[in-house]
Amino acid sequence: MPSVKSILYYMFHPEQLRKVWHEPVYRRDPSKESDTLKSCFHYLDLTSRSFSAVIQELNPDMLVPIALFYLVLRGLDTIEDDMTIPLEKKEPLLRGFDKLMKIDGWTFTENGPNEKDRELLIHFDDIIAELKKIKPNYYEIIEDITIKMGNGMADYAIKAENGEGVETVAEYEKYCHYVAGLVGEGLTRLFVAGEWANPALNDRPELTESMGQFLQKTNIIRDVHEDFEDKRRFWPTAIWSKHVDKWEDLFKPENREKALQCSSEMVLNSLKHADECLFYMAAIREQSVFNFVAIPQAMAIATLELVFRNPAIFERNVKITKGDACQLMIESTQNLRVLCDVFRKYARRIAKKNDPRDPNFLEISSACAKIEQFIETLFPTQDPKKIALVQKNSNSEDEEKMDPWEGLILVGSVLLALFLISALMIGAAYLMGARFDKMFSGEPSSLVPAGSKPTTSLLGDHDEL
Amino acid sequence: MASEKPQKASLGRVLVIGGCGFLGHHVVNLVLQHWDTTAVSVIDLRCQRNRRPASDGVEYVEADITDADNLTKVLGRLRPDVVIHTASPQAQGSGAVSNELFRKVNVDGTRAVVTACQQSAVKALVFTSSASIMSDNKTDLINANETWPVIRGKNQSEYYSETKANQSAPRLRVQAAAEELVLAANRTGDSNLLTASIRPSGIFGEGDVQAVYHLVNIYEQGRTGVQVGPNTNIFEFTYVENVAHAHLLAARALLLTAQASTVPLDHERVDGEAFLITNGQPIYFWDFARAIWRAAGSDKGTAHVWEMPREVGMLLGWLSEVAFGLVRKPPTFTRQRIVYSCMTRYYDISKARRRLGYVPLVTLSEGVRRAVQWTLDRKAEEKK
Repeated sequence: MPSVKSILYYMFHPEQLRKVWHEPVYRRDPSKESDTLKSCFHYLDLTSRSFSAVIQELNPDMLVPIALFYLVLRGLDTIEDDMTIPLEKKEPLLRGFDKLMKIDGWTFTENGPNEKDRELLIHFDDIIAELKKIKPNYYEIIEDITIKMGNGMADYAIKAENGEGVETVAEYEKYCHYVAGLVGEGLTRLFVAGEWANPALNDRPELTESMGQFLQKTNIIRDVHEDFEDKRRFWPTAIWSKHVDKWEDLFKPENREKALQCSSEMVLNSLKHADECLFYMAAIREQSVFNFVAIPQAMAIATLELVFRNPAIFERNVKITKGDACQLMIESTQNLRVLCDVFRKYARRIAKKNDPRDPNFLEISSACAKIEQFIETLFPTQDPKKIALVQKNSNSEDEEKMDPWEGLILVGSVLLALFLISALMIGAAYLMGARFDKMFSGEPSSLVPAGSKPTTSLLGDHDEL
Repeated sequence: MASEKPQKASLGRVLVIGGCGFLGHHVVNLVLQHWDTTAVSVIDLRCQRNRRPASDGVEYVEADITDADNLTKVLGRLRPDVVIHTASPQAQGSGAVSNELFRKVNVDGTRAVVTACQQSAVKALVFTSSASIMSDNKTDLINANETWPVIRGKNQSEYYSETKANQSAPRLRVQAAAEELVLAANRTGDSNLLTASIRPSGIFGEGDVQAVYHLVNIYEQGRTGVQVGPNTNIFEFTYVENVAHAHLLAARALLLTAQASTVPLDHERVDGEAFLITNGQPIYFWDFARAIWRAAGSDKGTAHVWEMPREVGMLLGWLSEVAFGLVRKPPTFTRQRIVYSCMTRYYDISKARRRLGYVPLVTLSEGVRRAVQWTLDRKAEEKK
């Protein structure tokens, strides 16, 4: 029996109901899992709510490798993020993480007390135990990405220590590559190894890269205020310096329009990956994997629309509403076509918000139109063969443009018909006793024959309701 | 990439027909800038405007291409390797000519050009067609490529039928017929002439007195507040220099084909083929107009814009047609204009990218900047 409170809630958030109906393709079965694996899923839940849910709906073959892959990267991230660990200690941990995760029983207890995911590293032995059980080809992929990402993070930690920020767009994209592109590379290799995706993806690394770049860049735009408060900056100098002189100026209310133009340039930079993301997802061969990759992408295009020309991003954290998120969940777990509709819808919304005074107005409009064009290459609306057939058949003179005179006659006859009908009706009314002579005399109910009782006032009628 | 930095590949002796026109003079400029040549010449009806300085060594010849005998004589003297045929009277706007003249220049003139090329041992002929020849002016073209059918008239006599002004469909059929003539001449008879056709969409740029000029007028009259339809229709506009570039890439490809001993494979063939050309930047129709207005000085966003439903626009267009019809004048505002502004027409140019190595030289926004600057300068001069 649903409670009154929940009924009220769903009345005002009807979209949320869909989540209740959502039927995942697969659901993990904890009763058949070892204790260490249960523990892994426990930490997965702790470290990421949203990712945990989608991971747990993956097919049984991908479920554990991807969950462990996520936890390993999260472990790395927890070390990198922790400002209480000095660099001399941090660097070897990051660069040697692939070795550490092979040591039975290894844990890490030296995270600062405020590090939110420190529990994961304290119990990392459980993850290591499960890593030993997965197929060797899957393990190799996870290990390889761990090495690459550990080194990348170490490089960035050193840069951060030296006060070097993200300067050029190339550096910005390199950063996104380390934190997201590499994750994508690992996932793609896992999908292909498990034969859940078209192996051609391995030959098109730029598609995988776009998947990661699109998500990461969108998050970086959305989180600009939070990062600013944490004294971190990911927006490249090459972009913001075109709009303001100093980074902090971007957050001053008097510079709002400049800040918005700067954020549009960031949005444009992210938008260029959207078509390749769709292309990538066309290569996925299994529903649960499709859902896994599509949900974050749908959220990203919606987030991009939300942050586009939205001054609030410089004041507080913005997020898509729960209702929208649920709707997107539903729409991104059907098929590529429905997902393309989502992308088209948000592309048009972005185009609609676009402002001609923005220096990147034209490029943004074109980037949105290009998303629509790419969708056409996947699902063409027109078929040239059919068009040719239609043209052949419609041999009637194609130039049957209406002559204005012809149109005038048409409208004339409509007016004539209207006049005749009115005349008939008025005539009938007259025969029935309507007093047209009093119509303009100002007397009340002049059209009503004398003697008939005036009706009660409208107000009186309403009293009875 | 070959087309991004052309290493001054050679085109031999180049002749640009219509080389003083809007597109033609950009072709001449680009030939001089980017290509290695042994001679550059121009044939045009009149050669005063858009003329290169004498130091550039371009030979200008005044000739009427509908005069077939004279044209053959001129070509026999110039002996070009490459002919770029851009000549066509203005199809719309203030300088529009009658349909009869339009047909004469496009069909008879083009036939004369083809014959003259064949008789003068020209190696490569590149013809300027239009992407609109695939459009019936009513139906959308959604990501269309060269496999889309070309609209054709039922028979030749139709080209002679004089119809009312501003009905562009007969003119498109004329252009389609001219393209057919050129492509049919590829590798025919005794001649070794190779031909190709370029179909640009929405060409604009310096020297353009149609699209951009008209839009700047709308801005100056303060009529930027109306938008017909929801602006979800995508269009393609192409900066003139990119169109010129595509012509020269095609010419180069034809010359290379002429040198080769074997006929190229179907999927890499340029001779006898048509190529759609755009800026590769599809855009929502009204956004292009707004970009022009912005470049012309507008400080307005979109808050003031009233979105007029298409149906209302059609009604107003019809009323205008009736009103002008009653006073027996060609209408300035028509239903066709409403249809145009609500139509989706964009193209897939991967054939040109693949076979010609076409990459646009100038971005859309840079093109808009240049075109609007030119238009404003010209308007300032007119006022003087």
